[in-house]
Amino acid sequence: MRRLHARLALPALLILSLVVIALAVPFLGLPNPVRQDIPNRLTGMAPGAPLGRDEFGRDVFSRLLWGARTSLFVAFTATTIAALAGTLLGMLGGWFRGVAEFLSVRIADVILCFPPILLALLVVTIMGPGVATLILMLSVLYTPGFVRVAYGEVLSTRNQDFVTAMTALGATTPRILALTVLPNIASPLLVQYSLTLGAAIVVESGLSFLGLGVVPPTPSWGLMIRGARATMEQAPLLLLWPCLALTVTILAFNLLCDALRDAFDPKSAASVGTRPRPRLVDRFAPGLFPTRADSGAILSVRGLTVEIGTRRGVIRPVDDVSFTVGAGETLAIVGESGSGKSVTVTSLMGLLPAAARPVAGEAVFEGHDLLRRSPDQLRALRGARLAMIPQDPMSSLNPVHKVGDQVVEAILAHRSIARPAARAEALALFRRVGIADPERRLDAWPHEMSGGMRQRVMIAMAIANRPALLIADEPTTALDVTMQAQILDLLADLRRETGSALIFITHSLGVVAEIADTVMVMYAGQVVEQGPVASVFAAPFHPYTAALLAAVPQDDAAPEPIPGAVPPPHRFPQGCRFAPRCGHAQPPCGEAQPLRHFGNGREVRCARAGDLRLGRAAHDA
Amino acid sequence: MAYLVGRIASSVVLAFAVATIVFLALHLVPGDPAELLLSTGGISPDPAAVAELRERLGLDRPLHVQYLGFLTGLLRGDLGRSLVDDYSVAAEIALRLPRTLELIAAGTIIALAVGVPAGTYAAVHAGGAFDRIMSGVMALLMAVPVFVLGTLLILLLAQTLKLMPAGGFVPFWRDPGQHLLLLSLPALVIGKGLVAIVFRMTRASVLDILPRDHVRTARAKGLAEGRVLRAHVVRNAFGPVLTVLGLHMGSLLGGTVLVEYVFNWPGLSTPLIRAVEGRDYPMVVGIVLTVSGLFLLINLVVDLLYAALDPRVRAG
Amino acid sequence: MTNLTRRGLVKSGLGLLAACGLTSGVEAQRAKLLRFGLSAWPPNLQPWVSTGASAGTVKMLIHSRLIGYDRAGNLAGELAESFGHEADGAWVFRLVPNAVFHNGEPVTSADVRHTIEQIGGERSTAYMRAQFQSVSRIETPDARTIRIHTKEPVATLPTWFGNYNMPIVWRGSPANEPVGCGAYRLESQERGTSLDLVAFDRYFRAGLPRIERLRLVVYADENLRFAALKSGDMDMIEYVPWQSMSGVESDPRLRLDTQYGPFMDILFNGTKGPFADARIRRAVAHAVKREDIVQAAFFGRGRPLEGVPIVEGTPWWDAELSKGWRYDPAEAKRLLAAAGAPNGFQTVMLGTAQFGMHKDTAEVVQQHLAAIGIQCELRLPDWSTRVRLGTTGQYEIAIHGVSADNNDPDGLTVIMDTSLSPTHGRSFGVQAPRTIDLLARGRAEFDETKRVAIYKDMQRAALEEVPLVGLAWRAQGYGMDRRVTGFTNIPGALSTSSGFMLTETTIA
Repeated sequence: MRRLHARLALPALLILSLVVIALAVPFLGLPNPVRQDIPNRLTGMAPGAPLGRDEFGRDVFSRLLWGARTSLFVAFTATTIAALAGTLLGMLGGWFRGVAEFLSVRIADVILCFPPILLALLVVTIMGPGVATLILMLSVLYTPGFVRVAYGEVLSTRNQDFVTAMTALGATTPRILALTVLPNIASPLLVQYSLTLGAAIVVESGLSFLGLGVVPPTPSWGLMIRGARATMEQAPLLLLWPCLALTVTILAFNLLCDALRDAFDPKSAASVGTRPRPRLVDRFAPGLFPTRADSGAILSVRGLTVEIGTRRGVIRPVDDVSFTVGAGETLAIVGESGSGKSVTVTSLMGLLPAAARPVAGEAVFEGHDLLRRSPDQLRALRGARLAMIPQDPMSSLNPVHKVGDQVVEAILAHRSIARPAARAEALALFRRVGIADPERRLDAWPHEMSGGMRQRVMIAMAIANRPALLIADEPTTALDVTMQAQILDLLADLRRETGSALIFITHSLGVVAEIADTVMVMYAGQVVEQGPVASVFAAPFHPYTAALLAAVPQDDAAPEPIPGAVPPPHRFPQGCRFAPRCGHAQPPCGEAQPLRHFGNGREVRCARAGDLRLGRAAHDA
Repeated sequence: MAYLVGRIASSVVLAFAVATIVFLALHLVPGDPAELLLSTGGISPDPAAVAELRERLGLDRPLHVQYLGFLTGLLRGDLGRSLVDDYSVAAEIALRLPRTLELIAAGTIIALAVGVPAGTYAAVHAGGAFDRIMSGVMALLMAVPVFVLGTLLILLLAQTLKLMPAGGFVPFWRDPGQHLLLLSLPALVIGKGLVAIVFRMTRASVLDILPRDHVRTARAKGLAEGRVLRAHVVRNAFGPVLTVLGLHMGSLLGGTVLVEYVFNWPGLSTPLIRAVEGRDYPMVVGIVLTVSGLFLLINLVVDLLYAALDPRVRAG
Repeated sequence: MTNLTRRGLVKSGLGLLAACGLTSGVEAQRAKLLRFGLSAWPPNLQPWVSTGASAGTVKMLIHSRLIGYDRAGNLAGELAESFGHEADGAWVFRLVPNAVFHNGEPVTSADVRHTIEQIGGERSTAYMRAQFQSVSRIETPDARTIRIHTKEPVATLPTWFGNYNMPIVWRGSPANEPVGCGAYRLESQERGTSLDLVAFDRYFRAGLPRIERLRLVVYADENLRFAALKSGDMDMIEYVPWQSMSGVESDPRLRLDTQYGPFMDILFNGTKGPFADARIRRAVAHAVKREDIVQAAFFGRGRPLEGVPIVEGTPWWDAELSKGWRYDPAEAKRLLAAAGAPNGFQTVMLGTAQFGMHKDTAEVVQQHLAAIGIQCELRLPDWSTRVRLGTTGQYEIAIHGVSADNNDPDGLTVIMDTSLSPTHGRSFGVQAPRTIDLLARGRAEFDETKRVAIYKDMQRAALEEVPLVGLAWRAQGYGMDRRVTGFTNIPGALSTSSGFMLTETTIA
């Protein structure tokens, strides 16, 4: 927000000073802007005439300031008239619909059909040039803009709860419009207002330039440019000053409009360059964390830590995470939203957003550290040896390409085979993942498919190049229950057939038992417990694991939701991160806890692991 | 389909309303085409000759008779003949319009060729030096009035450096090189505002698309970054860019007036201004009708193109 | 033709002689192409309808007139080999023997008669319509002789034929395709952009034209027109903008040829408002410092005009009379007081913003009138509204710019005879009976000395009656490459007729 204010400040200050100059110019003791001094025409800078004299020997500096008064007066008056008329018409049209709507909106449409300059030309020829004509013409020109904005906003506001409530309470229409609707549409109107001001100045100067605007000798920037154009060769500076004044003024209004728009529309603010600057990925001294060759492990992650620079400081959504996945094995990563599961796997894929970077640890995949591979090396791995099935199949397919093409693209990205061959493979893949009528579906658009079907496409895409490791990031969350089961079955089948390892991320332990060999529970960026599925499920050591288990609906017991939520990364507790939500917390939990080994591959991060008896049985007791 | 028919019908009604308003407004304007024609160059014409010419041009008939004549002509697709030299209005438009469209097309191509890559690059490196500089340059381009830029370019490139002709027109078939050279400056000036618009829209659109899941999918497939940007970011960002472009193309049609004036480009604007100044009613109405009709047509085409680019809209 | 006057015989065929002299000896080697920058696209090329000087230039090239002008601005026969008046006031013209139209038909007296009848016809829209409607009888005793009788004797009748709206057209021409007999044929045109003219090989003046092809390109914007000359895109341009004249002069490759012809003036409404009083009009005449207009509107490329617009160097010009309205604010204030308005008054001044010189002149005049107490608000609509308001008298005081028809004082009749039907280029209903009467007497007088006396009286009368106030002569300039030779800008009001000189021009 502060940056936004800074962006508002400059143009606002510029415009404010322009307005002050325009208001104060009669009292500044400047030379009369229309007094001619023809013997001294076109003289340059001199005492008494800081910017020289024009083709009639008039003081350019004085004319420039008086010109601001003319331009701003015309622009503000016309825009205000247009805003008042347009808002009123638009509100009436939007509120009453019917005839009022037809009159206001259709008339606006007709006016919008005229190219602006043409409309100006016609009005000026009918009325003769002059400030009054200009104001009238600009008002007519810009009213439709306000009608459109007000109309649209009223339409969307009129059905909202508070408006309905007021209507129900018997408030009169003018009252409702003035008290509830108007404040709600005020911000888009304000944006429109600033936009129109800038445009009005452009048209005013353009018409004056053509000799159809302000009547001489009244000082006006457009007229000054028109006059200076003739003496361009003798006195080019005369052309420069009004051009500069005009450009800076329009610039100020444009910037004001942009800043206002961002202030009122958070969506566009997010998209207009407020992201932190991307940095080159820091490279760490290799060998700091020596690679431990885990026999049979296809992926071995040690001490993975990810940092994101935010305006509130550096946060660590993933903190010292270590795990191993054996060939053909399935690892389930479990945890609530915000526990760092997705960040962990995206960092392995090298797909972290620009602001996030892995700052420590290693991730050895097939003998190479993923975190230290070059972007190109990583890209060669992605989609080939290392593939990903995303969380939301709805948004993960590009809506503007056919699904078949997107699968073909994945194949061609890694193998140099002919397009028809790739297409044949895609067809086989579609068949493999159980898409009915695969020939026709290759040419379907994403929006023509159901969610389950799209997820099958995503899976086809992921297995297209027979990856050694498949990462499925909550692949069923976005699907309904029957679909979930089908997709899980498909994944299990595929894994058996291809022998690829699988990392399966989920927030529910229900599916873990069905599919995984080992499970890793994450909380607030840390691993809190891991081990073989059967062992962990039978006897969880960490209260969080136990709580997650308790939250799974079982036939004989009602699920117990975990009270509270995962804290955001900038408010992770100092000691045990789960302590604030833990029913078993004791003083030692205020200290940071290491991950402790318990044999049989079990690891737990809990001060009281060992003395607590947890699990469903414990709750029952 | 019903939508299309509805759109076309309402466009026709709008165009008709525009034509009527222009016709009536013009006849209310002071000024007499016959007198004006005979006064060219400040000469004082013989009033008897003026009266005779008025009668010959049918300007002495009551307004409603002239309006009916105009309407029946319009229904037959006849835009009438110029009061000044009896030249067919339709033929004049057929001659001039392609030149204006060429100018707009060239400006648009320049705008797209510069705006899209620059906007994409700026978005991908948002906040970087290029982004900041370009955003500043574009804001400046938006703010410089067309007539200022045109005048300065002529002063600099044609008169001072003599790199370019000062303006004018040579038919393409006569001298393609010269034709393109003469086209370049006005096209550049036409394109300057559009470049800024395309740049800003592309940048915002790309910023919006970049964090989307399907982009991650594309990266997860291991596509090269250039391919990701082209096929999965820019392609998706193009819809909004095109819409905004279409909106501005319409106003460009009318806005070429100043550019054609400054660069002596014989498009549709020059005869329009001359016809308004000379009160050549059929010519003015004909040109306005054409421009408004095109304006509506462009909006229609943009809608359809948008559908072609985004299959979801096509289905809906 | 024994009763032709000596003067008529002396005048005949000057242009022809000049042309022969230029081409004597060598078989004429024609230059290939001259590119000429026009200031406006000719609205149309109807022969007798006035549609401006650019159209006039083209018409003089593709048509021939009966009478033209030589380089000094004297009348000279064009299609007429000789001309003169008879004792009863009738004018007799004898045609050259060898002239043919572009379709090969010979130019005969019947064609001239046809042209006159068309122009003076009841349904005519021709510029010279009123003049030729005063023709009472046309005789064509043979194929080469035309005798014209007018209702009143007219001493200046040959000047009628010298107007650029007076092409002689083949009598059998289809309605909208006039066949002419000019030096060039219109070969093709790029509508609104350019006209291509190609030499007519049977043109009657031997050895002419000296350039095979003329390309006339329209540059409506004056700065662009100058830029086209400077960059070499054009070999020659008309109407060099005043601010660029020094640019032409300082370029060693270029040449500037200027004449003072057209002028700026103030018109009044004599039917209502303060300016109905001649003393107020005279006050205005003395209030404006002309040098300021010359500087501000014409960049010094003009001359103060402080009297009736008679071209300097002509017999009718008088040094004293030409300063009759000299800048004298004290006199202006005295006249105001005498008219009962010692403190001035408020009014609205009509002009147009469409033409810079009108606008600039209005601004300077406004300033000087304010100095004697006349506060003017400027009203500067587009040109066509300005024309309408002027013709209908909807103004009190107006700025105008015009050129006389020719350098004979009779050419001022269209500007100063306020008893003619109202138009935008004349004061509206101003009473100037003595001026008008003297103009009529001058027109009917054949004796040269007497005419000079009459027109000096006319000037004295006009200085008092003030049917208009002269402000400034403006320079009318042609800019050209030094390789262009044989072109002369004709002096005075005839400057806009100089386009005809292109038939005698060549380029190295």
